[in-house]
Amino acid sequence: MTTTDPDAAEGFWPAGHQSAVALAFDLDGPTGDAMLNGSIWRKPSYFALGAYGPHRALPRILDLLDEAGVPATFFTPAWVVETWPEACRAVVERGHEMAHHGYQHERYWDLAPEQQAEVIARSQRIFREVLGASAVGFRTPSGDWHPETPRLLVEAGFAYSSSMRGDDRPYLHEIDGRATSLVEIPARWDLDDYASLAYTRNPDYPAGQDRIASYELTLDNWMREFDGHHAEGLCMTTLFHPKVSGKPGRLLLLERLLGHMRAAGGVWFATCREVAEWWSRPEVPTVLQGAGRDV
Amino acid sequence: MSEPNSPEGRWPGGARCAVVVSVDFDAELPLLASSPDAVRRAKTLSVGRYGATRGVDRLLRTFAELGVLATWFVPGRQAENHPGLVREIARAGHEIANHGHAHENFDLLDLAGQRAVVERGNDALAEIVGHRPRGFRIPEGEWAPGLPDALRQLGFTWSSSLRGDDLPHLHPAGAGASGRLVEIPVHHELEDHPYFFFNLDPAFPAGQSRIASYREVLGNWTTEFTAYRRFGLCYVLRLQPEVTGTPGRIALVRELLTHIRGHDDVWIATAGEVADWWSATHEGNAPDHPSEVFARLTQGTS
Repeated sequence: MTTTDPDAAEGFWPAGHQSAVALAFDLDGPTGDAMLNGSIWRKPSYFALGAYGPHRALPRILDLLDEAGVPATFFTPAWVVETWPEACRAVVERGHEMAHHGYQHERYWDLAPEQQAEVIARSQRIFREVLGASAVGFRTPSGDWHPETPRLLVEAGFAYSSSMRGDDRPYLHEIDGRATSLVEIPARWDLDDYASLAYTRNPDYPAGQDRIASYELTLDNWMREFDGHHAEGLCMTTLFHPKVSGKPGRLLLLERLLGHMRAAGGVWFATCREVAEWWSRPEVPTVLQGAGRDV
Repeated sequence: MSEPNSPEGRWPGGARCAVVVSVDFDAELPLLASSPDAVRRAKTLSVGRYGATRGVDRLLRTFAELGVLATWFVPGRQAENHPGLVREIARAGHEIANHGHAHENFDLLDLAGQRAVVERGNDALAEIVGHRPRGFRIPEGEWAPGLPDALRQLGFTWSSSLRGDDLPHLHPAGAGASGRLVEIPVHHELEDHPYFFFNLDPAFPAGQSRIASYREVLGNWTTEFTAYRRFGLCYVLRLQPEVTGTPGRIALVRELLTHIRGHDDVWIATAGEVADWWSATHEGNAPDHPSEVFARLTQGTS
């Protein structure tokens, strides 16, 4: 499909839909580097900044999604599932998807394959115990995954990953030159709220202490990204974080973004799992599935 | 969920939300605390000293014009260096709260050291304003385990130090502690410093980012206010006289506060008033509140 040929997009999505939006949140809570190195236990304020996500922001985001009638996928470290089980069960009960995002937001790049397998097994056990089912989706936490990670995901039975940045359409991952069943739903930094709104000090984010961006201009960027994805009939997902864009004023931006997307008409709002299932249908020609792109 | 989605009855007099205007009278003290050689850098220090020379007066005039009473966090050394200015703040009816002695970085102090600078700040403030403050805001860094209990022992009833929540909460108390300290959380996006503070060398921001658009920052603050009112939360604006007490930025403060005052269902209060209300209406936190989770996982108090 070329980027200027609207006819080429026909047939990509369930009948009557021009584009797909798989709204997604990384429900990290306080997990991440500071928890992995233990420093967070001397930082009550930094802990609270992260815990805001599952404790305060998540219920408000779920209300917003209910009102808009839009499903979402929450990539959630299993530590967060263990620590706020009721809040996480509400995600599933209200029709959304919970998916894998490490146990404490580990960097897969840093882990040996057997350590990665342990993180996956431990997290899937917690998902089964607390949420009643294993995750079928995977989004790699901070940074790159390990060269062996896709093989582990296939072995562990994951249906899809949403970890890469190199396309605006789903595709199938390839291992050793052979297509696998693992669908990739690539995301873009352009739709990561960290790139415009996240701010912490000690540890500093952004590293150069850059400013928090304008809310209005951030929303304008996001709406333009949607407009472009929709016009070309693509699949848009997001890298939103409840602790960042679930803060009160930013919820109003999300609300306006949802309103803008719904008003466009013809958008298939789906969970990442539904997109992966759609993409895996045997009737989707391999050339469209794009096996192996960017691996 | 742990807090009702409806803000009904959460605030006094049927108000939909609470707004606290707070000022950290930091001036040059953070520069001196973070760079040992700053004492010889007259130009850099003057960036901060502008707060005492010009910014405090300008904020006081604006608050008086709008009839807003703010909570001022005053390091003890400012009371020693600028007793007239600190008396003027107190005489205007604003609340005075503790902000350490010389804007110390609490990450570099143990519990005893943190307690000592709080006490030293209290002594300096009491000398000038005639009473010890009931509220505290950490100048920089994180507190050591046990500081909330130590603050209670020193007569404090509230803190406005932690980030995260958008409603007040209570700090878990250690064994034998007398009562629970109320926390009134702050937010980077409602502060002036992250958007506007700039120094060439030593560089802040470290990456020499541009100064943010004034109009867009006012937009962020206003959008947050709209949402805090809608969700019934506690909006804490955090200003520094050297950052927004300037000819160009004071208009943002005036415009924002005028907008907020244009709503008759907003409770504009000092942090102390919010803390009193919260402790009178709350016995504790939800068991899954981050402060309770943190205390459980560290097996102590936050």
